Amino acid sequence: MRYLHPHRGRARVTAFSGLRVLVVEDEATVAMLIEDMLEELGCEIAASVASVSRAMDIAPVVDVDLAMLDVNVAGEMVFPVALLLQERQIPVLFSTGYGMAGLPSEFSACQVLAKPFSQSDLVAKLALSLEH
Amino acid sequence: MSNVEEFPRRAGAPSEFESLVAASPTALDAVPGAVYLCDRDGWLVRFNSEAAALWGRSPPVGRNGTRLCGSHRLFLTDGTPLAFEDCPMATALKTGEATRNAEVIMERRDGSRFIALVNIRALRDGQGRIQGAINCFQDISEQHRTAEELQRRGRDLEDFFNNSAVGLHIVSGEGIILRANDAELSLLGYEPHEYVGRHIAEFHADAPVIGDILHRLSSGEKLESYPARLRARDGSIKHVVITSNGRFEDGKLVNTRCFTVDVTRLREAEAAQRESEDRLSATYDAATVGIAEVDVDGRLMRVNDASCEILGRSREQLLGMAIFDYTYPEDAEQDAALYARQVSGELDRYILRKRAFRPDGSMIYLDVHSSSVSDESGFKYGVRVIQDVTASKHLEDRLREGERHLRNLLEALPAAVYTTDAEGHITFFNQAAVDMAGRTPQQGDLWCVTWRLFNTDGTPLPHDSCPMAIALKENRAVRGAEAIAERPDGTRVPFVPYPTPLHDADGNLIGAINMLVDITERKLAENRQKTLIDELNHRVKNTLATVQSLAAQTARHAQSADDLYKRLEARLLALSRAHDLLTERHWTDAPLESLIRQVLLPVCGSPERVDISGSPLDVDTRTALNLTMVLNELATNAIKYGGLSTEEGRISLSWSVQTRADTALLVLLWRETGGPPVTPPTRRGLGSRLMERCIERDLGGEFNLIFGAEGVACDISIPIVAGHA
Repeated sequence: MRYLHPHRGRARVTAFSGLRVLVVEDEATVAMLIEDMLEELGCEIAASVASVSRAMDIAPVVDVDLAMLDVNVAGEMVFPVALLLQERQIPVLFSTGYGMAGLPSEFSACQVLAKPFSQSDLVAKLALSLEH
Repeated sequence: MSNVEEFPRRAGAPSEFESLVAASPTALDAVPGAVYLCDRDGWLVRFNSEAAALWGRSPPVGRNGTRLCGSHRLFLTDGTPLAFEDCPMATALKTGEATRNAEVIMERRDGSRFIALVNIRALRDGQGRIQGAINCFQDISEQHRTAEELQRRGRDLEDFFNNSAVGLHIVSGEGIILRANDAELSLLGYEPHEYVGRHIAEFHADAPVIGDILHRLSSGEKLESYPARLRARDGSIKHVVITSNGRFEDGKLVNTRCFTVDVTRLREAEAAQRESEDRLSATYDAATVGIAEVDVDGRLMRVNDASCEILGRSREQLLGMAIFDYTYPEDAEQDAALYARQVSGELDRYILRKRAFRPDGSMIYLDVHSSSVSDESGFKYGVRVIQDVTASKHLEDRLREGERHLRNLLEALPAAVYTTDAEGHITFFNQAAVDMAGRTPQQGDLWCVTWRLFNTDGTPLPHDSCPMAIALKENRAVRGAEAIAERPDGTRVPFVPYPTPLHDADGNLIGAINMLVDITERKLAENRQKTLIDELNHRVKNTLATVQSLAAQTARHAQSADDLYKRLEARLLALSRAHDLLTERHWTDAPLESLIRQVLLPVCGSPERVDISGSPLDVDTRTALNLTMVLNELATNAIKYGGLSTEEGRISLSWSVQTRADTALLVLLWRETGGPPVTPPTRRGLGSRLMERCIERDLGGEFNLIFGAEGVACDISIPIVAGHA
């Protein structure tokens, strides 16, 4: 589901201004938090979805510069989505409550944010993700 | 032979020659022999009828008649031709040499020959001049033949005596060796001069023996194979047997005729055989196993001492019995059957373990090896070798019992147990092992009972590298290993093996025993625990992130720190209550009604102001948590601005399930009534944003917040699995 909401909060001009981001996160409150954080950094939320199936639908076509994926989305692993995005050369940033151990070797180069994370954590990992 | 005598001579009287020439035919014929005359020139002048008969012709007489002899041809006795001019008659005429008793062969015209004995004399006149010669000859062919015959016989006899393969000798009546043949001489190794002419007693080793021999022979007795010992030239003793008799003339022993046969080697062979038999006998008697000979019916013909000892009977007792007589009836039947087959030749031999009883009734176990001695005509007798194996049988039985006991124990164990020999061949396995492996191990299986083996990481583990193989190859127990067995049907069992080598009393590796402990349950528990912990972690982290989010959102819109705190507290507590309800249900489902009450009542205060209705329904944790947030917001707003902010205000919440084809929808209707007039907000609050997200994003449902004139209304519809949200 494509969710566009009129921007709120104070956006600053940062390195990430205009960065289009795909968010995949099932917990509503956590999704809100992530979206707010990204928007504060000047990012544009291109899409925010709450299930792997919805994500699989849009991953091949969505126009984004980066994707932020929750590892466990309503009980399903998000890795098929990550694979699709990787094939499109779109950098993937994982967020997870499980810890680092959960990632398959194909994604060993991707950055991982452990929940809960601070804004500064997000900034650092975003920068690393976009470095390649 | 007839001699031609000289005629008395008178002076003036006619010479011999003249007389003979003038003699009447009758006179010449009166001579009992063949006569003829030749003149000084060798011409035949007179002959008598016998001469003519012998010559087979009447040759012409006178000059130019017949030369020297009336025969057709002459030969010497050896067969060489004799020219007439060389014959004795010619010699006599030439030289006057007489020939007495000479032999020539005369051949007749018809080719027949005879041997003539000739006597020839020259005839002289008064002055001694040769006038002629006279020949008297006779046919001695017959005598010749006889003489030759005799000679031949003589030679034959000589040859027989000298060259006989048996030693022959002739001893005089006084005991002197008159003759001895080659065989006798070479038997003893003497030269003829060392033997012949000496007394026979010199060569006998035993004086009494030769004395007896001579005595008997002179008494006219015949000796047959009389044993004696002779001293050979090299000093060795020859054993001989003498066959001899005496030649008597006028009742007196002239000489003995002795045959001597060397039986030295025979004697030696006999002695060796006797010794061999003695030894065989001794061995037979000394043997610690029973050896017996039995006849065709199984009757004992000969038993050694050991047999007697084993069977507890004397030789006399045993020799009257058959082998079946001391055997237990059941075993005797089998033994008899086998023995019959052995006797008939069907069986070469057989081995039997049977029970026998001693005279005191005690039972013994015997191992019997039965075979036959046969010759060309077939079975001669049976040979039985028996051993008392009672003691070892008891030992065997005890061992077998112990073994059986052990096997029963192993069989009863619930864990899979199997054993192998030192080379890894499987020797035993219990039922539990068959169950774990999903197959019955086959003869020749090595190392492991399983179908296929894998390491814990899923890589194949060859049987010859499995922990049991290592235990055997390195002769040590292996602990701490883990593996996965795959059954033929494809199912897999994780297990822990405990392979342990086994040793004999000398410490040699004789095999190994392995116990396979199925750790499926343990693995499942480990996985469940891991899963639970992961889940827990996930939830806690998400909850914290949720709190973080709520805090951030609340802070953004709070009027003051106190307001922030109150709002955050309310939200957190709502969340907490939802968690409580879920925990009560072990985080599976929550009944919708209970959930609604638990969320609303603490917020709303008195229950009469809230109307809750709907069919009983369980919702899952996701739905429960999201509804919690939504209801909490709706209630909070109702208290602040809406239906619960005035005394008359009321809230009603009803729900129902609408089923479509394969989907169902949970529809909730929130209605506030009796509250103050509603004005739509100019901008969306956190609450409505949150609520919308919860329903539309998290649950994929629809959320409609309507600020109606009579009060706030909210329609929520959530897709659910039929029967259950």
